[in-house]
Parts: sequence; structure tokens; C-alpha cells
Amino acid sequence: MTPRFLKPAVFASAILLAACSTTPTTTPTLDQARADFVAANNNPQVSSYAPLQFKEASDALDRANAAAAKKESLNDIDRLAYIAKQKIATAQEVARAKAAEANIADAGRQRTELTLEARTAEAERAKREAAEAQAAAAAAQQQAATAQQQAAMAQDQTRMIAERAAKLEALLVELHATKTERGMVVTIGDVLFATNQANLTPNGMSTLRKLADVMAQNPERTVLVEGFTDSTGSSSYNMDLSQRRANAVATALSSMGVPRERIAMKAYGEAFPVAANDNASNRQLNRRVEIVLSNENAPIPPRAASR
Amino acid sequence: MDMNRSMGCAAALAAVLALSACASQKAPATADVAVSRNAVANAVQAGAADLAPEEITAARAKMMRANEALAAKDYKLARELATQAQADAQLAQSKAASAKATAASNALNEDLRVLRQEVDRANSQ
Repeated sequence: MTPRFLKPAVFASAILLAACSTTPTTTPTLDQARADFVAANNNPQVSSYAPLQFKEASDALDRANAAAAKKESLNDIDRLAYIAKQKIATAQEVARAKAAEANIADAGRQRTELTLEARTAEAERAKREAAEAQAAAAAAQQQAATAQQQAAMAQDQTRMIAERAAKLEALLVELHATKTERGMVVTIGDVLFATNQANLTPNGMSTLRKLADVMAQNPERTVLVEGFTDSTGSSSYNMDLSQRRANAVATALSSMGVPRERIAMKAYGEAFPVAANDNASNRQLNRRVEIVLSNENAPIPPRAASR
Repeated sequence: MDMNRSMGCAAALAAVLALSACASQKAPATADVAVSRNAVANAVQAGAADLAPEEITAARAKMMRANEALAAKDYKLARELATQAQADAQLAQSKAASAKATAASNALNEDLRVLRQEVDRANSQ
């Protein structure tokens, strides 16, 4: 029972003391409200975003301060200070909300900008990629064209080689050439020379012209002109005759445009007969000039020592 | 001097007490309580129950006491409590609003950060 009576008594004496002392009256709540007010006053967001709420809070604090200055009851001062404190907090919250809303608006703007930037970058990338693809396509086309050209050239060359080979074949057949391990051999028989002379008959010249054509078309081939006779007469005469006839053939080929360095010459006299020298027709076979046409890019091997 | 001042103080206090006890204050007290009730309702609608529970609880408790005071015809107390409840409710409402706005702003900032990162990555390719 006693404390219940005691409390109002203590309170009453406190009010009396507060109301009549000369020291400034304050309460913890008022102190807190004043500190909060200073913080809010220092917050630039509060002045820009919540001026109305701040004014209300300021007025509320003024009322609490006035009550304190008039040394009103601690209870009244506290009550007014509490309201001021809540209003200051409200101003802070309103400012915070408005700042956040401003940030939301700014974020929206930034988002639009960023999206635009992303789209621009995307478009530029697409353009670049398209240009690269186009360049790659052009390069591929160029490559294909080059390959086609090369294939055509190879085909042309193959055809040319084939044509040349066919032509050579045909000419050699016409010249009654025989194939040996030393190369193709064209024999200029006795009938193509004037009797006992080295001069070629018109038929002989015509045969050589065909051979000169072959030589012109096959620049990598060389010829060896070999002269032979039958066994009639002295061997020195025969050697000389075979030499003269071989020389006549070589000179004729040279005059038909075959370079001299591609023409070799050798006289054998009555050596290497192709038939026995026992009758006139056989002897005629032995009187001859053989023209060995080298294989492509191959030297003409020498004749075996005897036959 | 001191005596004079304290006498004046006491006189003023007596006058205030006499005034506050007057029954003619019934109408403004009722109006204040109604305004506060409105403020509490607004705060609740703003989500204060979740976002500012302490403030809304205080406001509701004071509202209840204000109603009790009104019923007991203690109009001065009813007005005081109603005013405090209103201050609490307004704080609760603004706190809820700022919490929502801050959360939305933070979420947007995070979205922006991610978007910016994506754009930067795309650009650096």
C-alpha cells in the first residue's frame, strides 16, 4: 500500500522541483528528440524530399522546447518530445522512401540506356559478323574459282600431253619406227639416198621433215643419227660413206629447225648389219641410216660393242 | 522574485487543469481519436504490420487506451493518446513505404548490375 501512495508524492515533488528550479528543464526523450532533429537537419535528403514533414517535426519540437522552457510538467514535456521524435523519424522515413523512388526512376532510365547500348552493340556485332561472313564467302568463291582454273589448266595440260603423245605415236607409225630399249628407231633406207651418194631423195627429205616436226613438239628429246653400209667395197670407203650419209641426215634435220645440240651423229661403216650381205636385197637393207629418238629426258645408251 | 514566479506558475497550472477537466472538450477528443483510427488503418494498408511491427503495435495500444479514456470521459487523456497514436501510425506508414521503396530500388539496382555485366561481357566478345 505504501508505494502506491509514495509514487504520486515523489512525482508531485519532482514536478514542483522542475517547475521552480532555474536549471533548464529536459527529459531523456526531449534530449533524444533534439539529437534526432540535428541528424535530420544534417541530412540533405530530408530538406529536399520531406520539407513538409520536417517542418511539422520542427514545429512539434518547438512545442516541446517551449514546454520545457516554461518548466511545464515532465509528463507534458515528455509527451510533446515523444511526438516530436516520432515526427522527426517520419520525416527521415519519407525522405528515404522518396530517395529510393528517385533511384527507381533513375534505374529505369539507366536500364533504358543500357538496353539501347546493348541493342546497338548487338546490331554492330551482327553487322561485323555479316561482313566477316561475306568476306569469307567471297574468299571461298575466289578459292573455288582458282581451283576450277587450276583444274582446267591441269586438264588442258593433260589433253595437250595426250594430244602430243597421240601425234607422236601416229607420226612414228607413219615413219615405221620400231621401239627398242634405246628409244624409237626410224630407219632411212638406201632408197631414200641417191645411189652411192649422201644426198637425200625428196622422199627421204619428207621423212626427215616429219621427224623434225616430232622433235619440235618434243623439245626434251634428242636424236642420235647412226650411219651404216653393206660389206661391199673397202671398209674405209664404207666408213666414209656412212659418215657422209649420217652427216647429210643431221644437216637436213638441222636445216629443218632442230637445234644442233640435240643432234648427235655416229658412223659405223659396215658394222651392225641388219641382214646377211649375201644378196642384193639384203645388202640394200644394210645400207641405211638409223635415227634413234631418245625417250623423254633420257640419254641414248650406246650400242653394244658387237652384234 | 522566485516566490512570485512560482506563484504565477502554480496559477497557470491550475487554470490549465481546470480547462482540461472541462466537458466541452468531448467533441475535439472524439475527432482526434477518429483521425488516429484512420491513420492506423492507413498504416496497416501500407503493410506496417510486417514492415513496422513495433510502431503499429504501439499505435494500436494507444488507440485502445484512447478509446477507453473516451469511454471514461477523460477527454484530455483521450486527445493526448490519440495524438501519440497518430504520430506512431504515421511513422509506421512511412517506415513501411520506405522499406518497400528501398527493397524495390535495391532489386532494380541489382538487375541493373547484372544487365550491365551482361552488356559488358557481350561487348568484350
